[in-house]
Amino acid sequence: MDRLLFLLATGLARGAIFALFALSLVLIWRAARIVNFAQGAMAVVAVYVAFAVTGLTGSYWAGFASAIVAGAAIGFAVERGVMRFAPHDSPLSGVIIAIGLVMVLQSALGILFGATVRPMEVPFDERPIVIAGVPVLSPYDLFVLVVAVAVMAALGVLFTRTSLGLQLRASAFAPEVSRLLGVRVSRMLTIGWMLSAAVAALAALLLVPTELGLSPHSTDVLFVYAFTVAVVGGLDSPPGALLGGLVVGVLMSLVTGYLGATVAPIAVLVLLVVVLLVRPGGIFSARQVRQA
Amino acid sequence: MSQHTATHRRTVAATAAAAAALLAFTACSTPSTGTDPAEAAPGVTDDTVTIGTHQPLTGPAAAGYSSISAATQAYFDYVNENGGINGRAIEYLVKDDGYNPATTQTVVRELVQEDEVFAILNGLGTPTHTSVLDYLNQNEVPDLFVASGSTSWNQPDKYPFTFAFNADYVVEGAALAQYAVDESPDAVVCLLGQDDDFGDEVVEGAELVLGEGGLAEVQRYSVSNQDVTAQIGAMQAAGCEVNLLATVNGFTALAVGTAAKLGYFPKWFSSSSGGDYPTLVGFLGEDLAPKLLQGFTSTNYLPFSPDGEWTALFRQINDEYNDGAPFDGNTVYGMSVGYLFAEALAAAGDDPTRQGLVDAISSGDLVGNGILPLSFGSDSHAAYLGVGITTVDQGVQDFVGTTYALEGDEVATVEAEPVPLEGEGIPGAE
Repeated sequence: MDRLLFLLATGLARGAIFALFALSLVLIWRAARIVNFAQGAMAVVAVYVAFAVTGLTGSYWAGFASAIVAGAAIGFAVERGVMRFAPHDSPLSGVIIAIGLVMVLQSALGILFGATVRPMEVPFDERPIVIAGVPVLSPYDLFVLVVAVAVMAALGVLFTRTSLGLQLRASAFAPEVSRLLGVRVSRMLTIGWMLSAAVAALAALLLVPTELGLSPHSTDVLFVYAFTVAVVGGLDSPPGALLGGLVVGVLMSLVTGYLGATVAPIAVLVLLVVVLLVRPGGIFSARQVRQA
Repeated sequence: MSQHTATHRRTVAATAAAAAALLAFTACSTPSTGTDPAEAAPGVTDDTVTIGTHQPLTGPAAAGYSSISAATQAYFDYVNENGGINGRAIEYLVKDDGYNPATTQTVVRELVQEDEVFAILNGLGTPTHTSVLDYLNQNEVPDLFVASGSTSWNQPDKYPFTFAFNADYVVEGAALAQYAVDESPDAVVCLLGQDDDFGDEVVEGAELVLGEGGLAEVQRYSVSNQDVTAQIGAMQAAGCEVNLLATVNGFTALAVGTAAKLGYFPKWFSSSSGGDYPTLVGFLGEDLAPKLLQGFTSTNYLPFSPDGEWTALFRQINDEYNDGAPFDGNTVYGMSVGYLFAEALAAAGDDPTRQGLVDAISSGDLVGNGILPLSFGSDSHAAYLGVGITTVDQGVQDFVGTTYALEGDEVATVEAEPVPLEGEGIPGAE
């Protein structure tokens, strides 16, 4: 029982990060109908910015803020500088451009900062709080959970309660009509990318201190799991990303704990296959069939 | 690919025919002139020897290992600056395989067929190098001093051209377990290992000492998941007091760091592949590392003592020829590999051939620079069958003076026999 509780708590903290990153993929999908394979590499660039800012100012929070700003800026640059020029007749072209972008960004980071892994510190106690003899979540894990929930709530408000949110949704679902009604669709697209990249940067920033540290490849595995989460939850559904993230996080932790680390990625794959067979659009999909 | 093979076969046939013709000539008439046997050896000219390697210069594994080939290169630059080996400069072609076995196959074929290297030196990684083992042996390319502790490289009957460099994982597992038993006989000994040959072979070695099932808890991790909380939690719950680690440096740091977060402070006994203190400091940070790694135990077989003469020389070479890159275990490793190759090349004589090089190593006459004699011989392609125990004290990692060797299935305590530095670290120089 103790062991189960321990594994559940560990999985929850990790799942929250998967959820946040998956949410960023959902945002781009909703805005541009593109699965952005460069999301991980873009996020890691933003974390490098945060690392530099924290190093210069000595403040974690200055780095925290700069990661979000840098994330948004990278989203802007990638949308305006690269993705805008992707041919729209095939969804593959966007995917291939994104994969190329991953190589360029990771190699550039490698050239500039080297392949070494740099440790990142957080201003939180990472020792877990012990409840009834079982180590559960650490204050940092709680912080991650709170940030994840807060970001999702804020995005929920943005999309459903503000004029900007309405315009974002409108230009994603009916670009032609929106344009006729005076919505600046291309600007909305850019804003969608900026929002998404900022959320991704935040997720990566939260993840890196819990793993080996910062390197150009820090987000490789995060992207793979978060992509699975997004598909499991439904690429169209922010609540799906949240729930999917927690489910995948807990599943990995339980499988690692009871069956072994080698089996964990296979368990995630099995979950993905089962979900795609039973509900091809993902658990929370609104529509019956996905479009890509 | 088939085209290459066909071309190669044709070349072989042509060479054979030419050789037969040449033999016929020499047999029946005056000695032929101008046909220097050295010309027959690929990669060897009058003033150079070209060799190649495959290394992870990019990709996830680059963080731990990309500095090794740079150190080897720096050592060769030093040797070349000082006249080379038997008058020949060593040219070292380093190809990036990104730790991907499919890429390894491509780059090694490039090295052998296009660049026509004399030998492959220090190809890095078990999964990567395994993918070219058959190819190199079929083509009779010397495959020297593989950078991995797998026991696969020591199969002289099956792979006569392949030689190991690392003390193998079984040796390391046995030595660590023996040290655990010698130091704390009543402790609960457990193991955290990678979920591949690395983990399996260290378990095998440890069980030689502790007996089947002697490890109270064996946990595995997969490199695709940088979260070992579940595993460390299980070891804590099982009451493990001495944890053997069959981990790469990053996961050693992760294991030690995760345990500290859980308020769990066992003794850590790591294999040399994941026990390099300067590298671990890079992962854990300058502040935390000295506290978490106080008393950290590992093994080594190379002269890495901070105040040793080899280290002094290697530091000097590192400053002069490697742009003063951070000096760590990889630097000592890379330069020691270079030294051993230079020694083998010197021993292969003035007109080195591939077979001559292999014979020179198999002769058992090479000395190397390890803390124990090399185990190379006609029936052994293992470099080191023993290791010294090291520990970290106040941020300095050094040998404690205990050295173990694996003799058959028995672990014996032996005396270290460090090799004195001669000829300014250039073999054959007087």
